[in-house]
Amino acid sequence: MRALAVRRLVLLLPTVLGVVTLVFAFLHLLPGDPVEIMLGEWAAPADVAALRRELGLDRPLVAQYVRFLAHAARGDLGHSIAFRAPVASVIAARYPATLELAAAAFALAVAFAVPFGVLAAVRRGTALDRVARLASLSGVCLPSFWLGPLLMLAFSIRLGWLPVAGRGGLPHLVLPAITLALGMVGILVRLTRASLLAALGEDYVRTARAKGAPRWRAVGVHALRNALVPVVTVLGLQAGALLAGAIITETVFAWPGLGRLVVQAIQARDYPLVQGCVLAIGVSYVAVNTAADVLARAIDPRLIEDER
Amino acid sequence: MLGGLAGGCGEAPPPPGSLVVAFDSDPESLDPRFQTDANGARLADLLYAGLTRADATGRRVPDLARAWELADSRSFVFRLRPDFRFPDGRAVTAADVKATYEAVRDPALASPKRAALAVLSAIEAPDATTVVMRLTEPFAPFLDATGLGILPAARAREAGDVTTGAGPFQLLSAERGERLVLAPNPGYPDGAPKLHTVVVRIVPDELVRVLELRRGGVHLVEDAPEPEMVAWLGTVPSLLVRRTPGTSFVYLALNLRDPRLADRRVRQAITLALDRAGLVRFVLGGAARPATGLLAPEHWAYAPARPPRHDLRRARRLLDLAGYRAPRPGAPRFRLVYKTSAQPVRRRLAEAVQAELAAVGIAVDVRVYEWGTLYADVRSGNFELASLAWVGVTDPDLYYLAFHSTMLPPAGYNRGAYVSRVTDRLTSAGRQTFEPARRRAIYARVQRRLAHDLPVVPLWWEDRVVVQTRRLHGFEPSPSGDLRGLAGAWLD
Repeated sequence: MRALAVRRLVLLLPTVLGVVTLVFAFLHLLPGDPVEIMLGEWAAPADVAALRRELGLDRPLVAQYVRFLAHAARGDLGHSIAFRAPVASVIAARYPATLELAAAAFALAVAFAVPFGVLAAVRRGTALDRVARLASLSGVCLPSFWLGPLLMLAFSIRLGWLPVAGRGGLPHLVLPAITLALGMVGILVRLTRASLLAALGEDYVRTARAKGAPRWRAVGVHALRNALVPVVTVLGLQAGALLAGAIITETVFAWPGLGRLVVQAIQARDYPLVQGCVLAIGVSYVAVNTAADVLARAIDPRLIEDER
Repeated sequence: MLGGLAGGCGEAPPPPGSLVVAFDSDPESLDPRFQTDANGARLADLLYAGLTRADATGRRVPDLARAWELADSRSFVFRLRPDFRFPDGRAVTAADVKATYEAVRDPALASPKRAALAVLSAIEAPDATTVVMRLTEPFAPFLDATGLGILPAARAREAGDVTTGAGPFQLLSAERGERLVLAPNPGYPDGAPKLHTVVVRIVPDELVRVLELRRGGVHLVEDAPEPEMVAWLGTVPSLLVRRTPGTSFVYLALNLRDPRLADRRVRQAITLALDRAGLVRFVLGGAARPATGLLAPEHWAYAPARPPRHDLRRARRLLDLAGYRAPRPGAPRFRLVYKTSAQPVRRRLAEAVQAELAAVGIAVDVRVYEWGTLYADVRSGNFELASLAWVGVTDPDLYYLAFHSTMLPPAGYNRGAYVSRVTDRLTSAGRQTFEPARRRAIYARVQRRLAHDLPVVPLWWEDRVVVQTRRLHGFEPSPSGDLRGLAGAWLD
């Protein structure tokens, strides 16, 4: 297990390097000069040139890239052009908000999706199964820019139960977390149901039942454990996506997280900040997926054998 | 779960007397040496005092300086009020003014405001309440640069952000992307503001700002919401929608490097093809006035003029005369690319212009861009038509920067490459003329000239649409959208 974790961590380096290289290349293909955007149209050309020199933007692209990597290796992500502050501190200020929202959405999604998926599988073909499938399909289909305002209208304006937007405690977290979780719930319900149905048809489940294991034990212990392996893998991917910044949900709910920061940084052509954000997102994504892989192997040790 | 939360839900209520204002984006900087964006400028009005500030007519009026005079054509002498204080109680003196201006002029600080002080050759502080500014040449628009917020002398050269000023409010806390909290400056000479605090919340989504207003989580929004939302907010008993004439000028930029647009008859035809009153109704729900030019009627240098007519027949005749006849019936005379930002209002405008120009045989391809890309294209002359706006116009010297033949980007804002010897001569004279009546006469001629040459197509002056709680009193929205009016406001 430890070897697996180490192997994954070693793979993290080329993955993140690849992502950062792609973002660096695409970002510099965009029209728009960050210094002109930062200084405004009234800035003197000499001042624009001076600041460009100071930020290293007058150097060849390759030199800028090498410089960025060299600094990043030392833990220095550079200075944000728009915020006039170290990139690391700007990201550190926003990351907790993203983490909080992602954790809440993740917990909500797992708490609702796995039991509903199990119930839908166990009661296959019943009204409950149809409701669960329809609800999960709706969850996947409803875009957050539509669902978010709808929830606000219902729970904040009509009922007055919850605040409209902003960050400031548990009540503020409910609506954005539901909005973000719903898409994930849809996927997980369908996956848990399909995976459990497949497991329930396996010989070992029939054997367990034949040996007298009660139905709950055959489902909950024998079938579910195997059915959860693909669910955990998808959970890892989904959790990574949540950490990658729920851009629309954060914008709709005025949530001051990483997703909104990335948009702001791109609009300002704040290259160091965009690169820093992508680095933070890439590392988070790979780390969460590594954790999911490790968890999947803990659930089903045969996966470790397969890799040997 | 929702039911369980309902008991203790809601925003953490701000203390009584706290006003919550919503902004659409984070101010990029709160430091007056570096602030360049609109939201930063709004907060600078609350946090800092400058030597002068612009009033609703664009004239400079006293702020920190109680009076000023022109010692000679190259020297301004400012007499300061002795009663302005920083929040720590220390009086603002000429030394603070001198230190702030010198810091901005220092290339090492890389302030974006340095260029505006290029004509300043020296600044002196002979005593605590007198500041002398010497210029390299006679330059009438210089007063426009004297709105710079003054910092304490000891901190004026700090590399990091400095947010200590002598305005009506002081900054208590700033959580980037989330909220800023301002408290009254007890030393403000006209009396400390009555509001307990001003909380600025960053709410990027327009619909959410509107819902927050409806719910009472926000008390004041200065960015006009979409017309249909304004109508809905007008029906909410606790809210007041205030519409006042504004000064923001929206226009169609034309690239005169294009041989078709270099022909004045084509520009005139485009102008005649547009029904401004209809556009204002369709695009803004009537919240604007059809414009005759850059300066709004409230501006001291505005010269009354007739708005361009809507005359399709004459537009078609002009295009025929210019040699742009349709190759076959129903086919367009020629095709233009129209670049616009992704703002809903600008997109609606593009669609309306497309339809109206089609009526005279000009086909328009609309291209929607993210702002940074549009800005880069306009600056580099890579456009044919584009919808742009001038916001916060104060000194009419903007005519020089936007229309003088030497002011092509990056030197200035003449993005359409307009060249006119007459305009060059007049706008140059306007910079060197101090006497107000003569200056006004010069700019009246500039306005007539531009109305004739049509280097840009004037569309409208946007109204200021402010939505506020009825509990807010004593606040008068300004035409430029500044918030200094909050200094005298209170909540019941």
